[in-house]
Amino acid sequence: MAARFSMLDLGKVLFRPNAVFEALAVETPPVAQVFFRFALWLGLLPPVFAYIGTMNFGWRLGVEPVFLPQQTVLAISVAYFAALLFGFLSSAVIARWMAVTYDASQSLGRCFALMSIVGAPLAVGGVIHLYPHVFINVLVLVPALIWSMYLLYRGLPIVLRTGPNRGMLMASALIAYLLVAAVSLIGVTVALWGSGLGPRIGT
Amino acid sequence: MRTTPFYQDRVVTAFTACAMFWAVLGMLAGVYVAAELVWPTIDFGLPALSFGRLRTLHTTLVLFGFGVSALIATAFYSVQRTSHVRLFAPRLAWVLFYAWQLTIVLGGASIMAGWNGGKEYAELEWPFDLAIAVAWVSFGIVFFGTIARRKMESIYISNWFYGALIIVVAMLHIVNSLALPATLGKSYSLFAGAQDAVVQWWYGHNAVGFLLTGGFLGMLYYFLPKHAEQPIWSYRLSIVAFWAFVYTYIWAGPHHLHYHSIPEWVQSLGMVMSLILLAPSWATMVNGIMTVSAASQKLRTDPALKFIVLSLAFYGLATFEGPMLAIKSVNVFSHFTEWTIGHVHSGALGWNALITFGTFYFLVPRLAGTPLYSARLANIHFWLALAGVMLYVLAMWGAGVSQGVLWLSLDELGEVRFSFNDVMAAMKPYYLLRFVAGLVFLAGAVLMAFNLARTFAGRRTIKVAPPGTHVAAGGSI
Repeated sequence: MAARFSMLDLGKVLFRPNAVFEALAVETPPVAQVFFRFALWLGLLPPVFAYIGTMNFGWRLGVEPVFLPQQTVLAISVAYFAALLFGFLSSAVIARWMAVTYDASQSLGRCFALMSIVGAPLAVGGVIHLYPHVFINVLVLVPALIWSMYLLYRGLPIVLRTGPNRGMLMASALIAYLLVAAVSLIGVTVALWGSGLGPRIGT
Repeated sequence: MRTTPFYQDRVVTAFTACAMFWAVLGMLAGVYVAAELVWPTIDFGLPALSFGRLRTLHTTLVLFGFGVSALIATAFYSVQRTSHVRLFAPRLAWVLFYAWQLTIVLGGASIMAGWNGGKEYAELEWPFDLAIAVAWVSFGIVFFGTIARRKMESIYISNWFYGALIIVVAMLHIVNSLALPATLGKSYSLFAGAQDAVVQWWYGHNAVGFLLTGGFLGMLYYFLPKHAEQPIWSYRLSIVAFWAFVYTYIWAGPHHLHYHSIPEWVQSLGMVMSLILLAPSWATMVNGIMTVSAASQKLRTDPALKFIVLSLAFYGLATFEGPMLAIKSVNVFSHFTEWTIGHVHSGALGWNALITFGTFYFLVPRLAGTPLYSARLANIHFWLALAGVMLYVLAMWGAGVSQGVLWLSLDELGEVRFSFNDVMAAMKPYYLLRFVAGLVFLAGAVLMAFNLARTFAGRRTIKVAPPGTHVAAGGSI
């Protein structure tokens, strides 16, 4: 596969990632192409699934479902998309920033491509949002997360052209950022709920 | 003993061995209480196995058995090498060893028998509090005595952190434990009501700060550069971060008491200081990551360094999550939920346990004068530890957010929609996941204990002399 890829190559990204990594190691993809043909659409999947699932089934937290007004669900889904977009863009930019320290490729296109591949299993795993039972979502998204982490550790040294040892260090440094980003997402979410956007809770 | 020119490392070995023993036992107690939350009847009606007692046993064993033993071991090892002298008052160090282990054994038994002072993370009753105070002062005498006799002009940064640990924990422990004994097994705090709560969390949070953060940063600052064979990326940053850390941390305790009956301004002060704390915490993380980034070629051969690299990632998470949870508008949601338990364990497992594991994989072969028994087992342990802590944290995030929503959900009349029982029942699958996570993490710790025991089997601690001593040393580091 050439370094240019779109949503049509999703199957390859998920099931034959090594071929994609090797292709990216040779050719640098343009930033705009990675973003508009691949990452953006990938990022749209979880919020769309979440919207459909929440409208149909409500949030299932283990007791009776919590239903929300359509306006609220729409607002939350848009906010979710914005958060995912911010997470993706910031991770790619931070990967490029870290590349200086770890003697890796500083091409923004490669960083965009790498982070979109890493995020792909999680985004596709977002299909489980169609049934928003929190525990079932945790069960499905944990293996997706493990797959994503594997792709990060495996792909980073190849795509960003650095040694396996430096690649391992850089991937771990990125994991630190991603963990912080994940917990920020939860923190911002509950703060928004507290301020009125979300389920009706008495704070 | 008094005339030997060698470093006093046997006491380090003894503390290390006990730390591993308490790690396995303490984590086993943790896994058992996790199982009790899924299958409540496995206490078999025995008071000693009830959740309230075993949970206290778990925290006591991992904090004071595993954590403190590991800190004393590494403090004694590194203070000798950074001062170029052997330990001051080595007999007192041995007295400390026996006194400390005896306190944990008897203290643990007293908790299972139902003695409990009622203060979280300080549950041991007054006879043990006295013993801990005496032991801690002995720790201080040995440590600062060694520093006073040092042959180096400056005091290395790790010793500042260990020193702060000794001084501040002594202060916290003594003030928080002030109590009037009624019987041998029961005492009453000198403080009452809201004051008691403020003192308790001044103690509780700074135990996290100066023991679990500061003490282990001492470990990081000695063992990471030693291990990576690189100087610290910025020594100046480490000093600035130390003083900012010491100044800021001591104020942060009231964030445990948001929306409680303590003055509003005290809560806000605790919140602001918690947010400021992010700066020195992350300065240290950056320093560690940059130090290790120059030593990447060692990763291939050295599983121990992987633990330290990963521990820095979780240190980054925990020190970010903490200030975030201290924000009142987040705390209103997260308080009392499983999210807090997840936060504690991302720190305790991800940071404290992983850095200690990495350090022990480095330290034990050097104490034994032989390579690690199995690098492969250590690598397996690494992945078990990562899987265990990730699964734990994710399970508790899911549980905590669900709990928060359910508890705060109101019905049309503005009444609480779900009963406590409903919400507890909804938590069962998460508790099962957490039990599995704990089991995976414990399995890794057991592998490690086996690996280290095999490394040391049939050997004695090798003798190492301080630089400039003219003796036939049994090895060199």
